[in-house]
Amino acid sequence: MISVTDARKTYGDFVALDGVSIDIPSGSLTALLGPSGSGKSTLLRSIAGLEGLDGGVVSIAGVDVTHQPPQKRGIGFVFQHYAAFKHMTVRDNVAFGLTIRKRPKAEVRKKVDDLLEIVGLDGFQHRYPSQLSGGQRQRMALARALAVDPQVLLLDEPFGALDAKVRADLRRWLRRLHDEVHVTTVLVTHDQEEALDVADRIAVLNQGRIEQVGDPVSLYEKPANDFVMSFLGSVARLGGQLVRPHDIVLERDRAAAFEADARTPGSPGVVTATVERVVRLGFEVRVELRADSGERFAAQVTRAEADRQQFGPGETVHARATRPADATEVDPALAI
Amino acid sequence: MRTSRGTTLALRSVALVYLVGLLAVPIGVILWRTFEPGVGAFVASVQTPAAISALNLSLLIVAIVVPLNVLFGVVTAIALARWKVPFRGVVQAVVDLPFAVSPIVVGVSLIMLWGVTGWFGGLESATGVKVIFGLPGMVIATIFVTLPFVVREVEPVLHEIGTEQEQAASTLGASGWQTFWRITVPAIRWGLTYGVVLTVARALGEFGAVIMVSSGFPGVSQTLTLLVHSRYIDDHNTYGAYAAATLLMGLALVTLLGMTLLDRKRSTR
Repeated sequence: MISVTDARKTYGDFVALDGVSIDIPSGSLTALLGPSGSGKSTLLRSIAGLEGLDGGVVSIAGVDVTHQPPQKRGIGFVFQHYAAFKHMTVRDNVAFGLTIRKRPKAEVRKKVDDLLEIVGLDGFQHRYPSQLSGGQRQRMALARALAVDPQVLLLDEPFGALDAKVRADLRRWLRRLHDEVHVTTVLVTHDQEEALDVADRIAVLNQGRIEQVGDPVSLYEKPANDFVMSFLGSVARLGGQLVRPHDIVLERDRAAAFEADARTPGSPGVVTATVERVVRLGFEVRVELRADSGERFAAQVTRAEADRQQFGPGETVHARATRPADATEVDPALAI
Repeated sequence: MRTSRGTTLALRSVALVYLVGLLAVPIGVILWRTFEPGVGAFVASVQTPAAISALNLSLLIVAIVVPLNVLFGVVTAIALARWKVPFRGVVQAVVDLPFAVSPIVVGVSLIMLWGVTGWFGGLESATGVKVIFGLPGMVIATIFVTLPFVVREVEPVLHEIGTEQEQAASTLGASGWQTFWRITVPAIRWGLTYGVVLTVARALGEFGAVIMVSSGFPGVSQTLTLLVHSRYIDDHNTYGAYAAATLLMGLALVTLLGMTLLDRKRSTR
């Protein structure tokens, strides 16, 4: 388990970490999610020891490592831009940590070959990093970090420099790897889709503070506040409240809309709006609307529903939410 | 930018005339004059005791200056690129100073500092170590004029490679020294090599600063450049001066060739 207590860090006037406390359970894959400048990378780097804290305590597996250098923390770290040792072959890169530890040559060789097979780089032993693609370099960096059997694996925006397709492949691959290896993993990302996709726990950071920690479903379903709600998944503002676009139902019939809304306690009410644009996104349809109050929002409806009601630009519809807007309802178990 | 055929031709001619007139012709004349009486005469001229002594002295100075400058240059470059150095701008300017100051000014100031009547003149009377008009003076003068080369070649490389590889090494368990030798040194080695080549070339060719602090005795305290000078000016031995100059050029050529070969090796990687 990794435990961070009241971590503080400032750079000049900028507060990177403003009293952050978080416990990361052993064997979990936790994502630190937040916009840039939220302190997520600083938090990760202070767990690694690459960044010193102004105050607070970091402990790994029950040992206080706050004042330990990175070498002594038993960690593996993966950088966004791979940090490949350019003058070494793939084999020497992966073997680096073991060579430093003066392990027997035969053992190093076997371990490196095994790891390269796991990360799908078998046969690339004698290549140089410059001869690999971005995705391959990052898998090499992962093998290098795993070679020293770290207690925790720390990944700083590991897929940030890769294109969308490779990124999606690699994060699925990371998830499978984690299910096999079970090393406690912390991943920093600004991409909510990535966090929802790979992590079993997500900590949302904003302005140097943790807004909420929880599993992906509860964060999505029961966000602690507007920030978490709008950062995880898309939102629409309906009658002054934040709702998910797919929770909005559009009705041509005003009476039917009001009748259905009456059965949904705590709903934001019915909002009359004009259709501005209808965008077909494969199996779903995004309807862009402008409320009578002038506020713009978008609803997400199924293709069947769109076909049935035949929305067109300029037409008037009545929007309601199917679920109570519980965006600001705080579940004490989830809030920090 | 597109240039007309005429402009291209004119520019090329100017560049060619410049190169040929100012570089190729003078060098060619010296080579021609040197080998005009035959290779035997050249060999005899560079095998006189004074010439051998000058060659040895020049190489000795190079052998002392290069390791010192490598050590100082790498440490300074790391300090400038990685550490929080107070008055960084001042330090940068000081490192560049030898580019701006004429070597002869360096020679004069060294005499003022280390000469018998200078600030550190007491050292000579106390220990008998002759700085001015001795080897130490020539070494100090050469260090001064070659000081920026290693720093200026290594520092940009350090900026370019960044700190991530070094941080990665530290997370993998490498100590500061291990990181330096296994990650930093291999990463900067080409910049370092280039800095060393420039230092060697400049150390061999240095004249103005060295002539001020050398006693200039043939066979004792003459470097190759001083030998060329004294043969021409003092001895009116024009041919001897040509021969020594050719030897000096030969050494420079070997250094340059070595650099080109290393450069080619680098680009094939």
